[in-house]
Amino acid sequence: MKPDSRLLAGLALIVGLLFLSPVLYSVFMSFQTVDGYYTGNFEFTLENYELAIGQYNFARYLLNSIVVSGSVTVIALTVSTMAAFAFARFRFPGGNLLFAAVVATLMIPSHISLIPNYLTLARVGLLDTYAGLILPAISNGFAAFFLRQYIRGIPVALDEAAYMDGATPLKVLWRVIVPIARPAIFSMGLFIFITEWNNYIWPLVAVGDEDLYTLQIGLARLYRVNPSEDVVNWPLVMAASTITILPVLLGFIFVERHLVRGITMGAVK
Amino acid sequence: MSGIELTDIRKSYPGGPEVLHGVSLDMRAGEFIVIVGPSGCGKSTLLRLIAGLEKCDQGDIRIGGKRVNDVAPQDRDIAMIFQNYALYPHMNVRQNIAFGLELRGVAKAERNARAEEVARTLKLEPYLDRKPGALSGGQRQRVAMGRAMARNSSIFLMDEPLSNLDNALRVAMRSEIKELHRQLGATVVYVTHDQSEALSLADRIAVLKDGDLLQFDTPGAIYDRPANRFVAGFLGMLPTNFLPIEALPFWPGKTGLTVGMRPEHMKVHTSSPQAAAIPARVVFSEMTGANLVLHCESDVGRLIVTAPRQDMAGGEETVWIGYDTDQAIYFDAQSESRVDMA
Ligand SMILES: Nc1ncnc2c1ncn2[C@@H]1O[C@H](COP(=O)(O)OP(=O)(O)O)[C@@H](O)[C@H]1O
Ligand SMILES: [Mg+2]
Repeated sequence: MKPDSRLLAGLALIVGLLFLSPVLYSVFMSFQTVDGYYTGNFEFTLENYELAIGQYNFARYLLNSIVVSGSVTVIALTVSTMAAFAFARFRFPGGNLLFAAVVATLMIPSHISLIPNYLTLARVGLLDTYAGLILPAISNGFAAFFLRQYIRGIPVALDEAAYMDGATPLKVLWRVIVPIARPAIFSMGLFIFITEWNNYIWPLVAVGDEDLYTLQIGLARLYRVNPSEDVVNWPLVMAASTITILPVLLGFIFVERHLVRGITMGAVK
Repeated sequence: MSGIELTDIRKSYPGGPEVLHGVSLDMRAGEFIVIVGPSGCGKSTLLRLIAGLEKCDQGDIRIGGKRVNDVAPQDRDIAMIFQNYALYPHMNVRQNIAFGLELRGVAKAERNARAEEVARTLKLEPYLDRKPGALSGGQRQRVAMGRAMARNSSIFLMDEPLSNLDNALRVAMRSEIKELHRQLGATVVYVTHDQSEALSLADRIAVLKDGDLLQFDTPGAIYDRPANRFVAGFLGMLPTNFLPIEALPFWPGKTGLTVGMRPEHMKVHTSSPQAAAIPARVVFSEMTGANLVLHCESDVGRLIVTAPRQDMAGGEETVWIGYDTDQAIYFDAQSESRVDMA
């Protein structure tokens, strides 16, 4: 290693630790007793986790979050990939107008659709259901737009070759476009998953039933669990936070491998 | 085996001018047809219409006697080789070749066997597990051929399949394509802008210019009896000399015609011959092997002729150009169409 790159590596490590330090600190805190935390004497314990899972239902919230974010990611990716393919490859009456409408949705702040969505779901009786948590997020204008741009970068000749080989449009999408666009699709999926995982407002509005709470709702409620007046049980909150962060982190490590593989595959053409 | 019949095909792209102005071609089953013409004349468009990748505005496309204007490309059972090969980058050579079979529901063992058989024919066996990105241009070209061959289609469309190869490879692949056609017995429609490819490959050549079909005939007929001045100039190794008949000493008294004289029919004399000849000055000469191509300046205009190298060993600067008038092709000076002279 040249001194230059050693310096850079050192610098990168320091910056990386800087970014990571709040996370590390909160993980550290989650293994501490409340008393220890407030008196400054470290005492290792797992009771925060036991409390979060046993008393405060975090296993259930975790499951809900996985179901909701996972479904949203899979369905939204499917819908937007198909929309992107249609917008990128087919001319049809009203196509341009429709695409303009999709782009226009990007300019609407999400909070504006909160009440209409609520009223719609209330009318069809989907409040307090998984479907109510999932459905509003499956039409993702940004994903459709982003993937359309990516697909437009794939030579049309590949589609045409597949048609000549006997493929139907759906086969072209599934066997040619999707594998080639995989890095973009995975990135988009990661983005959708994280956004949904961190979504707070919609689950708060759409669900009253405690059994359908997602992690973010559960987490916010922990602030109100006070060991004594005006004191927050931070170690408990941090244990719950760790439960919240961990799956995303693991998921990222898993997906990231695919991202890198996809990208180098594109590079060699 | 299917022939292809095009009747009065017209095509324009959205918002653009018409690019094909009523082309009719009757290609018989098993024929090797070359569509040749300068770039932008509509060759690819014509091929894509046959493939079904474009729709025509007017006219009929029949394959094997059946009208296919409204049949989707995937249902026409045509194999196509694209100019840039369009290999699937995420599949290895085996999968690329077998993809068409897979889509038709051929079992894995069978399609892999077929892919390997095709790869053997094309000398691609060592590369079966490679992705297209790890192949040379020539190997990619072969994979593209293999992909087309795997399905045993009765029609092959090729859009300038050799234009991205270097010269030696191009000439080698040319004879392989010809050999393949002989083996497969399929109808081939081959698009190129290269007249020598057209002459060497075709059973019949269709010459296209600006969206019009100028001539559709055998290479020999097109070479000997070009329909007009453009066809005469376009096909042939060396540029044909076009001169007004009045200016030439070979046809005293004739007027109103342009004469097309191919360099290979002109005789170069180093001293003034008995017969009529055009005195000329050699401006420069190109070595092509046994022959020299001489670019000459004369009273009647610039002339390009060839001469055996040993005849010109002295570095002659003044020559006399004689001509075998039986070989002349005559064109109407106004319309530029060929005129038969008894
Ligand atoms: N997709 C297209 N959209 C609009 N114009 C096109 C398109 N493809 C080809 N053209 C035009 O049609 C004419 C014929 O093109 P093409 O068939 O590709 O010619 P060639 O293959 O003989 O070079 C050209 O003028 C070209 O600009
Ligand atoms: Mg072309």
